[in-house]
Amino acid sequence: MAQMPALIPKEVEIQRLKKIWLIVIAMGSTAASVEVDNFVDGSLHQTSIRDSAFTPAHWWLYSHFITLPLGWGAAAIYDRKIPVLRGPNNSMNTGLKMTILGYLATMFTIGVNEMWHFWFVEEIFAVPNHWMFNMGVVVAFMGALAYVVRVYARLVELGAETPGENPYVAEMYKMALEGKLYSRAIP
Amino acid sequence: MTLPKGFGSGGGGGSSSADVERMIGRRVENMTGMITISFWAAWLATFGGTAAGYFYYPWAYPTQSGHFAFIVLTIIEAIGYLFCVKVMEEGSNKNSNGIVAGSIAAVTIGTILIVSFVGK
Repeated sequence: MAQMPALIPKEVEIQRLKKIWLIVIAMGSTAASVEVDNFVDGSLHQTSIRDSAFTPAHWWLYSHFITLPLGWGAAAIYDRKIPVLRGPNNSMNTGLKMTILGYLATMFTIGVNEMWHFWFVEEIFAVPNHWMFNMGVVVAFMGALAYVVRVYARLVELGAETPGENPYVAEMYKMALEGKLYSRAIP
Repeated sequence: MTLPKGFGSGGGGGSSSADVERMIGRRVENMTGMITISFWAAWLATFGGTAAGYFYYPWAYPTQSGHFAFIVLTIIEAIGYLFCVKVMEEGSNKNSNGIVAGSIAAVTIGTILIVSFVGK
């Protein structure tokens, strides 16, 4: 695919991409904090029987199911101002679609999870009601990675960021710009 | 270059630097104040969240766990804050190293004082 023609002035595009980047860094910090909470939550569940879902470790865990979808929603709304990030047929970016799909799965699972724990008062990690939390988050992170790499690759192309020295990384940026990071068929 | 509706000089198609400025809005390198306020708000909220844990739910969240989480989260937030400011200002003439260093130093002292003297 040829390079996307510039539809907005370069300086405008760099500023807009960096505003997306600002949202992404804030969400990256949130995701990192939830990674810490996985250990907090896990250690709590190893030492106490679930007598309430209203524990601090759960506030922390479940608040990210609100924060990150809202953040990606904000990114999806602002993303419309950057033509190079559009998906097939001027639809939403494929990475963003995957991210939002992943978090929709986790939102659905919150209901399933509460129903399960109404009868089974435990917090065993591998029970089936937890599966879709993990699968949803993995799908969301895969989509987010595709999107973030594409934003960064475009910033490199515009000369606002330093190109990768590692040839494999450089190839990944090239594929991302061509919309082929995960698939040659779906941009 | 063709500009979006409402920009440019009435069908001429040309873009002036005023048009570009108007499309950009507030420049990212001028957002350091907002980013700093957000960082402070996030840090205070983190203190509030962990304190609510060990004051109201000490059976689920011992003070030591709350302080550990508070320290780790403060570090994560500080790294995010640093990245935000540095990435937004790269390539411009702006330099807010003093504000960033001051904020992170103040938060470090605040965190040490909180984990030393606050808790159940």
